[in-house]
Amino acid sequence: MKTGDVKLAFIVTKLPYKSETSRLAITHALSYQTVEVLLEDNQTITPSLIFVDEGVLNCIKNHKSMEHYELTSVETHLKNALLVEMDIYVCKESIEKFGVLPERIVNAEDIGAEKSIKIVSKDEIKEIIKRADHLLYF
Amino acid sequence: MKVAVFVSEYRCNLNPLEYIPAEKLGFILVGNGVYHAVLKENYQDSPILQQKGDFYVLLEDLETRGCETDCINPKVKPVTYDDLVDLIFYEYEKLMWLQ
Amino acid sequence: MGYLTIGCFASLTGSMNYDFLLRLSKAAQRKGHRVSIWFSGNGSSSIKKGQKILKDYSHGEKHLRELISNGVEICVCESCAYARGIMKEDVIEGAKWSAMHWFLSKIYEADRVLLIGGE
Repeated sequence: MKTGDVKLAFIVTKLPYKSETSRLAITHALSYQTVEVLLEDNQTITPSLIFVDEGVLNCIKNHKSMEHYELTSVETHLKNALLVEMDIYVCKESIEKFGVLPERIVNAEDIGAEKSIKIVSKDEIKEIIKRADHLLYF
Repeated sequence: MKVAVFVSEYRCNLNPLEYIPAEKLGFILVGNGVYHAVLKENYQDSPILQQKGDFYVLLEDLETRGCETDCINPKVKPVTYDDLVDLIFYEYEKLMWLQ
Repeated sequence: MGYLTIGCFASLTGSMNYDFLLRLSKAAQRKGHRVSIWFSGNGSSSIKKGQKILKDYSHGEKHLRELISNGVEICVCESCAYARGIMKEDVIEGAKWSAMHWFLSKIYEADRVLLIGGE
């Protein structure tokens, strides 16, 4: 029986809202919080949620999807992920390409999260992906 | 890291490939991705075939679309579903579905 | 022999990615590998029983029943199914009904993981 930690890279490249792709990436990654009920004591899963290319546009703050469409925002899911201390990375080169300033990236300080989304280079993302046991490309 | 990339579209965004630090990259052309193996748009190989790596095309999907095997680009190896299973388990470690 | 876990987010009709999933799973199972399939997003409605076989549309039920009878584990995302009006009692016999952590637990055990996207 396999034991130890399995690292998963959830790589998000799609824009939010038109499809549920990016939302499902976040909610599937978040489910690592409860997977322990199906694993043994010495088995763990560590997800990394990585936004690259157009996917970084999911991470712009102040979503108002609940107000306009009665739909939980992608931002809310991201905040919850930060609250449970998931590692979330955004590609520096991609946000620069789309003109997104770092201060426009979601944070969850208002709900008491200690973690924040890390803005990292493409090379750093390659390293994270290299360390992952499996790639989940959304 | 050995990565197999499944390509099921003819028009697809290749930017995500820039983040994959693979020492061995294989492109598996399925669905409408099989057109990469047989078309030479503007007399050039498709952008997928201009990548560095090995290329495979799923015969069943090629034949479904009326494409002849003798039109397959010499860079591309035709494979069956059974061959795909072997590629997945014995040639590559991580899998990625390009969408 | 190896263990392949597949996540299917593609819909049964409107995309032949679903048909790819079925045939790949059958080939892997035939070659002696263990296979688990997780249906989520638009893939979740494909596990509904009572599908009519129409030649113009891809068909899921017959193939899923065959896979299940050959030992392939199949599970649907309960919230994705609920959102589409599919209840537990609507699901093909033998298919499991669970939350997203089921998929992660199967990934944990797997040698290879393939996520077939829904776009």
